[in-house]
Amino acid sequence: MDPTIKDFETAIAELETIVKKLEEGDLALEASLQLYERGVHLSRFCHARLEEAEKRIEILNERGEARPAPPGFGAENGPAKGRE
Amino acid sequence: MSLFDLPFEEPDDTQEDDSKPAPAPRRRILTVSELTAELRTLLEERFFEIWVEGELSNCKVWNTGHLYFTLKDKTAQIKGVMFRSSLRILRFKPQDGLRVVARGRISVYDPKGEYQIVCEHLEPEGLGALQLAFDQLKQRLAAEGLFDAGRKRPLPALPRKIGIVTSLDGAAVRDIINVLRRRYANAHLVIRPTRVQGDGAAMDIARGLRAIAKVKGVDVIIVARGGGSIEDLWSFNQEVVARAIAGAPVPVISAVGHETDVTIADFVADVRAPTPSAAAEIVVARKDEFVARIDRLVQRVSAAMSVRMHRQIAKLRGLESKAGFSGMRGHLALRGRHADELTYDLRRALQAGMAARERTYQRLRLTLERFDLRRRLAAVKTRLMAGDARLHSTIRSRTHISHARLGATAARLESLSPLAVLGRGYAVCWNDDRTEIIRDAARVENGSQVRVTIEKGELTCEVKDRKL
Repeated sequence: MDPTIKDFETAIAELETIVKKLEEGDLALEASLQLYERGVHLSRFCHARLEEAEKRIEILNERGEARPAPPGFGAENGPAKGRE
Repeated sequence: MSLFDLPFEEPDDTQEDDSKPAPAPRRRILTVSELTAELRTLLEERFFEIWVEGELSNCKVWNTGHLYFTLKDKTAQIKGVMFRSSLRILRFKPQDGLRVVARGRISVYDPKGEYQIVCEHLEPEGLGALQLAFDQLKQRLAAEGLFDAGRKRPLPALPRKIGIVTSLDGAAVRDIINVLRRRYANAHLVIRPTRVQGDGAAMDIARGLRAIAKVKGVDVIIVARGGGSIEDLWSFNQEVVARAIAGAPVPVISAVGHETDVTIADFVADVRAPTPSAAAEIVVARKDEFVARIDRLVQRVSAAMSVRMHRQIAKLRGLESKAGFSGMRGHLALRGRHADELTYDLRRALQAGMAARERTYQRLRLTLERFDLRRRLAAVKTRLMAGDARLHSTIRSRTHISHARLGATAARLESLSPLAVLGRGYAVCWNDDRTEIIRDAARVENGSQVRVTIEKGELTCEVKDRKL
């Protein structure tokens, strides 16, 4: 995505810093705008990351390959067993 | 020499037996080997399975893997050996000074004429063997610094993939999945099935930890097992598991047994969860909490920015009224002293970069708004489309006159903007590529193009004449 954003937690941390700086309010307008722009990018990044993970369960076999778990695996009432 | 090993009689002058030549009791002379062999038979048959208690000393494991030791009490001692195969299944480490009960048999070692106990099992007195083993390993690993707070790694706030090392048959895996589904439905889980009790389980768990850490994207691991007896949980008290946890390249959460069960794995892990369900709660925050947190931050960013914009705009408005703009309403041509003032002030305003900045601000604000819309109201297509349309028109036109279409907030900003003067009939003259505002006729050539921004739209004009 954006190579200047390392990961979710640094994005949130940076967003927090931006909020603080903007709220302190003694920045030049230009600088404020730049921060604001960065804030917009960061928030989009964070939301995208929240949605990005796939709802998936995989099972790693002895050869180190991840295979999708059988449907219904781990469901509340069903058996947790995945091996037949 | 065995050829001559047969017992035979032999005159012995040192022998001053009183007995007459009569039936001299046949002296049976044994070789050392024979004697030793008989002793061996005697001892080994008689002391085939014994229990003996004493204190361990001179414990030494040779490079063959066998343990040699002396078992002693106040007045006696016996040498002992425990072969590697028996030693391996011992759950604690035999140490000097330890009071033990040893089970085994007596064996004679011919070459040295020594007898010893060949020990098949050792049990520490007092504490159970498991407890002792636990204490010993705990102590040893603590001394190595494996439990140090400084080694604990923070968990990723939002894991990409969550690795789980556990049995597929247990309740633990189901508990984890169910809790995660409730809290963070789109979590991606990778499960490495392992045995979690019995022979070889510890090795299996350790292998599983190493295997799952290699899966791309796995940035946190839960190693879990449901409740059970101390024997059932024993794999998690074994050194191979502790080492595998310590060696994992990503943080590990241990979740073994119930709240009251504490294992060595718990001490080494970066985070100890009291139960598998709790591990699922620890590994990732609720998704809606994340969303709320980001939204709060974004709201604060927006509010702070909006305040700053308004402040700037109010400042400029101060300039505007001071210059008596209001009196100029309706004038299209700018002439004379008022015109000078007006251009001066407008120039000041534009110099401040307000126009460009406000455009930037509005663009960003809309980006945010549009994104927000898409996220929250994906269902409300119409509104989303309206948002898109507004955004596109703003960006495409790249003029400051489209504010009126940007909704209530934008309208309010607009009413304060120096650019609102356009609405009153004034115009701004730019150079051809719109990088500079023309404030001085000397800056353009006859025949060159200029652009004139007016309230509704823009004119491209050719300079026919200049009055300098």
